[in-house]
Amino acid sequence: MKIGFYPRLAADGIRKNKRMFLPFILTCTGMVMMFYIIMYLAAGSFLDSVFGEETLRQFFALGSWVIAVFAAIFLFYTNSFLIRRRKKEFGLYNILGMGKRNIARVLFWETLIVAGISVTGGLILGVSFSKFAELGMLNLLHQKVSYDLSVSGVAVLRSLEVFGVIFLLLLLNSIRQVRFSTAVSLLRSENTGEKPPKGNWLFGLLGVALLAAAYYLAATIEDPVSALVVFFGAVIMVICGTYLVMISGSVLFCRLLQKKKSYYYKPNHFVSVSSMVYRMKRNGAGLASICILATMVLVMMASTTCLYVGEEDVIHYRYPREINLSFQLRELSDFSDEHTEELRGAVAKELDARSVSPKNASFYRYASLYGVVVGEVVEINSAMISDVDSIQNSYLISFVPLADYNAMMGTNETLNDGEALLYSYRTDFYQERLTFRDGESFKIKKKIDGFVENGDIAMDVLSSLLLVVPDLETSLKQVESVADYNGNRMLRMKWNYNFDTGLSPADQISLYHELRETLRTPESSEQIGYASVSVSSQEFEKSDFYSLFGSLFYLGIILSLVFLLAAVLIIYYKQISEGYEDQARFAIMQKVGMTKREIRKSINSQLLTVFFFPLALAALHMCFAFLIIRRLLLVFNLNNVLLFAGTTAASLLVFALFYALVYRLTSGAYYKIVSDAREEK
Amino acid sequence: MSILEVQGLRKVYSSRLGGNRVEALKNVSFSVEAGEYVAIMGESGSGKTTLLNILAALDKPTAGRVILDGRDLTEVKESAVAAFRRDNLGFVFQDFNLLDTFTLEDNIYLPLVLAGKTYREMRERLLPIAGKLGITDLLKKYPYEVSGGQKQRAAVARAMITNPKLILADEPTGALDSRSTDELLRLFAEVNGMGQTILMVTHSVKAASVSGRVLFIKDGEVFHQIYRGGDTDEVLYQKINDTLTLLATGGMKR
Repeated sequence: MKIGFYPRLAADGIRKNKRMFLPFILTCTGMVMMFYIIMYLAAGSFLDSVFGEETLRQFFALGSWVIAVFAAIFLFYTNSFLIRRRKKEFGLYNILGMGKRNIARVLFWETLIVAGISVTGGLILGVSFSKFAELGMLNLLHQKVSYDLSVSGVAVLRSLEVFGVIFLLLLLNSIRQVRFSTAVSLLRSENTGEKPPKGNWLFGLLGVALLAAAYYLAATIEDPVSALVVFFGAVIMVICGTYLVMISGSVLFCRLLQKKKSYYYKPNHFVSVSSMVYRMKRNGAGLASICILATMVLVMMASTTCLYVGEEDVIHYRYPREINLSFQLRELSDFSDEHTEELRGAVAKELDARSVSPKNASFYRYASLYGVVVGEVVEINSAMISDVDSIQNSYLISFVPLADYNAMMGTNETLNDGEALLYSYRTDFYQERLTFRDGESFKIKKKIDGFVENGDIAMDVLSSLLLVVPDLETSLKQVESVADYNGNRMLRMKWNYNFDTGLSPADQISLYHELRETLRTPESSEQIGYASVSVSSQEFEKSDFYSLFGSLFYLGIILSLVFLLAAVLIIYYKQISEGYEDQARFAIMQKVGMTKREIRKSINSQLLTVFFFPLALAALHMCFAFLIIRRLLLVFNLNNVLLFAGTTAASLLVFALFYALVYRLTSGAYYKIVSDAREEK
Repeated sequence: MSILEVQGLRKVYSSRLGGNRVEALKNVSFSVEAGEYVAIMGESGSGKTTLLNILAALDKPTAGRVILDGRDLTEVKESAVAAFRRDNLGFVFQDFNLLDTFTLEDNIYLPLVLAGKTYREMRERLLPIAGKLGITDLLKKYPYEVSGGQKQRAAVARAMITNPKLILADEPTGALDSRSTDELLRLFAEVNGMGQTILMVTHSVKAASVSGRVLFIKDGEVFHQIYRGGDTDEVLYQKINDTLTLLATGGMKR
């Protein structure tokens, strides 16, 4: 035997099974490329200048692990297709006198060749595309870019490690499969007789019930906090439900169709339905995986796009004006008109000194606390709040004096003592009366449907109730005295002053820094009379938001691509392996008198179902995911349902188009295999 | 009246690049009368399968004509061939060719479903045939659950259910044990007794010896034929054997 015998045999094997190996190698290459790029982004020095680089690096490190784990699982899955097809060949080698050890050597060389090609290819592609990836990301983050090409040693090394391990595991798995089977079973592995699937009623119904329950949860959840809790539960329910429905439910459905004689015994349905039963049994799990991957892609594309596009919105909600000042006050008496005037004068002095004239200014007194609302009673003492479920009834409750409300909103509301106007944010809570335990009670005179943007309210994950009361000093006396068991007062009191400047972004940021320096000194707070002040600037915060949402968006796109690649490959392998199985079947049908057109039609209807059933279910999942994610986005202060609906629809459309393209390519390969049968005959 | 007429059939296969030309059929002519039971014998490579494929309209001859019930098979349009085959021919194959995704019943219905018949009509046609073939109790079973002989009987039922003008059988006993073979041959004889025309390709002398006439093919030509006349199966068996010996030795004196 020559030294090069095994490598040559392995190379031949790969060349002869091009149809199976090529997609596998392409997937591996793609995975390596994605992994390298993400690692490169995580390790790259170009991030140093980006604000929030730590967060970014963490994101990408996390992303790279997601890809690594996913790549391992997925390559195992596709490799199992390869092994199944190759078993016959190995059985023949075995019969012709090759020992298991020799076959293992062939397998070793095969894996080495595949790994060599795909890792080298992946790294080359990764290096060439990493610059584009970097440019793309910096662009999304609104950063300046440099155009010199660089290679990240860490990323290369890490890619080699991770994929080295994955390929080693693949090899061991293949060897294990060959080792534990006899020559004859290897030869016959493809044609073992198969029982007609029965479909388990229990599992089928359980699947439908799980889906229905998850959908119900998604549709009924109101507040974002419970949504966050419920979301993961619902996701798991949907995943389990999808698997059960695809595996058992679909078989049951076909069985029912078969029972209905007038439907079943039609040329169009006869062959399709009966082979679909087998198809679903064998492919249920694969189709469910496709469905879940598709849903993941859709959720990711829709929500990250929505966040990215909607970030201006978010900034605007959280930081209503170019410059926002919020003075924390010490006493209820600080809410007096005189003191407010003092504060205002002090700020005006600072602004005048820099010849800045505030525009669109809004200033108002504002007090807030957290409370659990049961019926019309508000528990504000945290000692009274023990129930875990109470998170659903927890609200940020804030108070604004009527005078400030009327001034800002240009209204002319009036209130008697003990009355209040109610504005509810992210909730449609309504009671006739709100009574604070150990505190005042307010009769809700009417519900109002708007207030100026308030950063506190926007930022809080809890839903908000805002009460416009006649006067803060007098109306909150008792509430103010409530303290937690550490003796800390529950009520937070603020005077907010938000305004635009009309300055350039750079000037806005320098104004922001100057105001911070001046106002946050002890002397200043002592002199003017406030506990502390928080200063924020839209321009300054923007860079942080861009880096957060931009990188989320970016990661979303890359992970979507990876999952998409995976879904495509699962589909491809399914079709190819089914094509081989169907060859004989269609040859028989032709002999018995099925026309080519009828065969084509039957293939078409089966392919369409197999292809678009997961997509349709994924779309359905997405519709319900929409309801719950809409609530979750509120946590990010994104309240633009229309935008989210738009990005969801766009994601669905893009995905469906892509899917249809894959369908065309795949069904072409399938037809080719099925019709090959006739030429061989 | 002859139901099948084969005239001057010739089939030449050429390899893809047109280099090697193999003449599978040189000049085959014969005819089959309605209600006849004809066996075609010949060694491997004698052109039996090619002939059958042409008769089944699965393949086109290079020259010559096949006329089934007055209609020239070679002139049936490509698009209509499958329907023609379905309506006029019944097939029984060596390896049964039952679809493993169907029950026996559905396998038998397949040609009728393709022809657009209703379930009731199919059921009415099936019941007497199934009774005759002794598979009534097996109809709900899947092919992998029954024996080879039972599968072949289901295949015969599938061939008969369309009331075809001609049943083409390709080595129908090839994959069966001797008991199932006897059973199947008895069935064929019975079916033929009811007026069904059967054309069977085989190289089992036993199978051929139950037919009414045996055609021998050698090197792409009809070499000889034997009519049963009034002979018993045993006598016909002996005659076939003698002919085969003659064919194999080429008539040389030892």
